[in-house]
Amino acid sequence: MLISEALGRSVVSTDTASTVGRVSDFVVDPRLPGVVALILSKTQSQGNALPWPNIIAFGVDAVTVPSAAAVVEPDPYLAELAGKPHTLRHKRVLTTSGVQLGTVLDVDFDPTIGRLAALLLERGPIDAARLLGVGSYAVMVRA
Amino acid sequence: MSILLRSSEINKLPVVTFAGEDIAQVKDVMYAAHGGQVGGFTLNGRGLFSGPLKTALPWESVVGLGPDAVVIRDEGALTPTESLLAAMQSGGPSAGDILGSQVLTDDGAALGVVVDVVIEVADGGGGQADVVGYEIDPAEGAGRGTNRMLIPLPDTMSASGEYLMVPAAAREFVTHDLAGFGAAVDDFRAYLRGQR
Repeated sequence: MLISEALGRSVVSTDTASTVGRVSDFVVDPRLPGVVALILSKTQSQGNALPWPNIIAFGVDAVTVPSAAAVVEPDPYLAELAGKPHTLRHKRVLTTSGVQLGTVLDVDFDPTIGRLAALLLERGPIDAARLLGVGSYAVMVRA
Repeated sequence: MSILLRSSEINKLPVVTFAGEDIAQVKDVMYAAHGGQVGGFTLNGRGLFSGPLKTALPWESVVGLGPDAVVIRDEGALTPTESLLAAMQSGGPSAGDILGSQVLTDDGAALGVVVDVVIEVADGGGGQADVVGYEIDPAEGAGRGTNRMLIPLPDTMSASGEYLMVPAAAREFVTHDLAGFGAAVDDFRAYLRGQR
């Protein structure tokens, strides 16, 4: 599934069958590499982070959670990764050989386990296993 | 495969960590081994108004050098500039000494003045960054017009702040663009080995 397709998707609680928010951003840990949480907009509770383990299913039409309590305040680990410097999309991609490959147009991830599959660049996909780090200047990949 | 870079292209390149942060940019290339290799880089801070840093980057800590960035593992790669400069001092001329020097062939002909240095980086990093050629603004009467030319260098050579000596045969391997220069360096060095 592409991150661009998943943005804006409703997050529905199965206990009350009501919407608890919408997917507005992805929190990615490049060391896994995988999605560790979703950032939601339009939440009723005070928190806006949905850690990946709290998700029941990432479906084609909605993301399901057991209850509204699945949405929490981001802990320090998530807060650090959720910052603007760590977003993947629209960032330049550099190899460890110092060559710029392009910019990240989209990210392909596995909706069952949250693992990143590929980064999509202008010139085509590259394996997410090459991902080293995501910083304010660039997305670093192994050459 | 290896790549060729001009030292002028390396200046201002960002220094980027594995975490994707640009922590500095290259101010100048420092040379070691009598100007035959890259020894490291002096650094400026990033951003319009940041000046030179007190830390420098030794070549051993560079993971990759390419046309778009210098890649290092993390901030731990940087060392104080003074200690790196001291280590380089024994190694010969700095960039400032090479640029503007007269190139003299061993049969006594002045070819011109060095305006840029061509560096060959082995693919994947970790190896050496060899100085393989100079870009020269030709001297009058060298019979080669006024176009800048690229002249290949032998593996080892002598340089002082005053003159850079090259074998007279280097003249036969001059090119005018980087595209064919890698082959010219290989041919020239093979020719020199054949001579011995």
